[in-house]
Amino acid sequence: MRSVLTIMVLCATACTHADRPRITPAELRTTTWDKITQRAKGTTVNFAMWAGDEERNRYFRSTIAETLLRQYNINLHLVPIADTADAINKMLNEKGAGKSHDGSLDMVWVNGENFRTAKQANLLWGPFAEALPNIRFYDAESRARDFGTSIEGYEAPWQKAQFVMAYDTARAAEPPRSIDALQAWIKAHPGRFTYVAPPDFTGSAFLRHILLHFGGYSPRFQSGFDAQLYKESAEATIQYLTGIKPYLWRRGETYPATLKDLDRLFANNEVDFAMSYGPSFASTRIARGEFPSTVRTFVFDRGTIGNYSYLAIPFNAANPEGALVAINHLISVEQALGLSRALENPFPIPLGSLSPEDRQKAQALPRGPATLSNEELAAHFANEPDAGYLTRLEQDWLEKVLRQ
Amino acid sequence: MLLLAPASLVLLGLFAGGVFLAVVQSTGFFAPIGEHAFTLTHYSAMLLNREFQLSLFLTITVAAISTVLSAATGVGLALSVRRLTGRWPLLNALVQVPIAVPHIVMAVLLLNVISQSGLVARIAYAAGLLATPNEFPVLVNDRYSIGIVAAYVLKESPFIAVVALAMLARIGGEYEALAATLGASRWQRFRYVTFPMLAPAVVSSSVIVFAFIFGAFEVPFLLGRPYPSMLGVVAQRRFTSIDLTERPDAIALSVLMAIITAASVWAYLKFTRVQIGERPTLF
Amino acid sequence: MTTRRITAGIAVAVTATAAIFPIALLAVWSFAQRWFWPDLLPRGWSTRAWLYLASPASAISPAIATSLWIAIVVTVISIAVALPAARALAWYDFPGKRAFFFLLLLPVIAPPLASAMGVHGLFLRFGLTETVSGVILVHLIPAVPYTILMLTGSFTRFDPDWEAQARTLGAGTLSVWRYVTLPAIAPGLAIAAVFAFLISWSQYLFTVLIGGGQVLTLPLILVSFQRGGDEAITAALALVFLAPTVAAFAVTAKYLRNDA
Repeated sequence: MRSVLTIMVLCATACTHADRPRITPAELRTTTWDKITQRAKGTTVNFAMWAGDEERNRYFRSTIAETLLRQYNINLHLVPIADTADAINKMLNEKGAGKSHDGSLDMVWVNGENFRTAKQANLLWGPFAEALPNIRFYDAESRARDFGTSIEGYEAPWQKAQFVMAYDTARAAEPPRSIDALQAWIKAHPGRFTYVAPPDFTGSAFLRHILLHFGGYSPRFQSGFDAQLYKESAEATIQYLTGIKPYLWRRGETYPATLKDLDRLFANNEVDFAMSYGPSFASTRIARGEFPSTVRTFVFDRGTIGNYSYLAIPFNAANPEGALVAINHLISVEQALGLSRALENPFPIPLGSLSPEDRQKAQALPRGPATLSNEELAAHFANEPDAGYLTRLEQDWLEKVLRQ
Repeated sequence: MLLLAPASLVLLGLFAGGVFLAVVQSTGFFAPIGEHAFTLTHYSAMLLNREFQLSLFLTITVAAISTVLSAATGVGLALSVRRLTGRWPLLNALVQVPIAVPHIVMAVLLLNVISQSGLVARIAYAAGLLATPNEFPVLVNDRYSIGIVAAYVLKESPFIAVVALAMLARIGGEYEALAATLGASRWQRFRYVTFPMLAPAVVSSSVIVFAFIFGAFEVPFLLGRPYPSMLGVVAQRRFTSIDLTERPDAIALSVLMAIITAASVWAYLKFTRVQIGERPTLF
Repeated sequence: MTTRRITAGIAVAVTATAAIFPIALLAVWSFAQRWFWPDLLPRGWSTRAWLYLASPASAISPAIATSLWIAIVVTVISIAVALPAARALAWYDFPGKRAFFFLLLLPVIAPPLASAMGVHGLFLRFGLTETVSGVILVHLIPAVPYTILMLTGSFTRFDPDWEAQARTLGAGTLSVWRYVTLPAIAPGLAIAAVFAFLISWSQYLFTVLIGGGQVLTLPLILVSFQRGGDEAITAALALVFLAPTVAAFAVTAKYLRNDA
């Protein structure tokens, strides 16, 4: 009963923000960072974060929350969400109801597709990112475009992801390292390959690799949607996909609905490959006892798609000052090192922009048995095509591959 | 009338208000994508969509089959449990357990038990009946929605059993005992005494079960196929789509689904002339 | 006689399996490691999932407290609201009864998505989002109709004259309720209460939208881990989730018996 009361009291303090003027994006340009840090003192930041990962929750609730409190006197309050779309829908509704300040979220973890949606509907506060002192460590590309959408300072790069495939060395000695080799492999091993059904994020990324392949990894993929380029490459992509369909698991009559389902099929020797946007996913699964210890990951020779995930501030954030300070802290070199050490994520900051000591620390980051080195991943990093390709390809896949 | 006031407040104030806003958002007033004029295009587009038609057919079929099987299993369960609680008093509690298992957990359990590499397939392997997972019959994510139906029968038959057991407890065993002294056989006692007393409650709880399955998302998402999928999955997919223009479509689809279930329940109430309060029905 | 005993045995076995098997499987899963085809049992065991649930980082105990608090309040309010309505429906005829009844069913049968977004919009306008009271209110939408439906059946079997007789014998309102009404409707009341509790306890969509993650309940954590694909923690959470309802069922079980 006491804990119930505690929660209600906590909520009463955390959920009602004192009426004080919020900083506006325009004021941000004329205000010194010190002043923002001052104003953020003693505030609570509500951070909407996907919370389905044990290690991540642990790290955020302990290390990150503690350092924010100690260094900046900011309370970090995690708002767990099962899907970023939930946060976007919530912001949409708040906008619809005219809740233009005192919103329920101060900071959201977004990635390209959701960023585009949010920006399209004017759900974001900004521009702010270029005003953050720590943004200088990140490279120009990650600050300029996210899935082809211009960022314009509405989100700050935070974590890096890159598509990898997993195979089991106990079953296959050498994995197919190109889209062509994969096709040959699939036809030679009927029923042993499948991918997660789009619009699942990872399944959709798998399709984009084939699109990039047939589009010759053209740089035009990143500069807006090019209907001609799409037409040329999509035709071959759809042909490729319908061509392998009869050789897929269950003859392509069905596809795993979630990444977890594909993991399960892979772990139980129903199919021979798994895939993920997290380069360390196989190592994590091995550590949890969900994958055999003989599993390793690989990337395609021509590269695999990688992207950044970002931190953004909702248009109606009650505490933008606190969010600014928290975001600046989260994207700092210190936190990037900490996060990569704790979760074995790829290190998001280009090594060239680091001090010699930090570079050494970044190079010494631990790596799971199935995780590729940062160098190898970086050497095979391909940029995300514009989000326009994603939506059209998913639609074409639905109509021309799935429903046939 | 005063007795109904608090309940009406909850239902009208909260639920009807919510539905009203949903209707508004789906008829051309979804501001984030710049819709500011009345239109029914979201509805007409949905109704003419081939995926919608296929999904509707699939949804009705799966919901109907699951409901009928759950009702039959539930009644059977209730009758045997009632007969056995004398010797096994725990049974009344046990029979309710699956009701508490969340649908999402039940779906995950089924995936791990009856999929091609699931527990049952492993037992078959251990018994030497098969050598590789793909020799095991396809029971989840399958063409015939066997997995979905299985999940619902496991989840909903205990619900129907509990309703039936409550009814049996209320009417007691006197009528059956009387029929027995008059020389009725077991089958006759069931057919002419027990069943007529149970039927209204079982049918009305089946209507709830049907409506629930009709609108469900989690189980068909995890145990169904990506295409064609049940309506709840289609609505959810559009609702969480990165393309904002699909939001009003999703809401329109949900409203359509609500209209379909509401119409069928209305028809049921009309058709059966349920006299609320005269017969011991659930409703 | 022997065939009857055999069928009885089978029935007991099936029920017990259907009930115990999921729990047993979840228990094994919460400790399992390296459980791959074609192994019947895991190759390794680990207490990782349970240690995580026990650690403050999981935020499980406050979530349990919040869930319990909300579910109990929802149960009490549902019963309080449903009792008069069920009496009216069972005993009196009034114009529009059928329509009211139909209205009552709508929240039960309409897909949650149809009302959820609208309800969220409504609550935003009243400032009820992100609050425990808002979540309690929104849980009432599905809980109240179920409770009324269950209780109406109980009142139908209960003759209003009994209350009148007790009153002519000099019993006050409270004692009529205590000694006449309550015992008569107790079985239905207990089952209705358990259902109201269960409906609130397992609510996901409404809680996410209205509570917005600020009101953290157990299903929210469970769904996050299920989507994250951590099987051991999902299984452990499912067991924690099941515990209070199974306990509640032990209470209602006695009302499902013939001699009750």
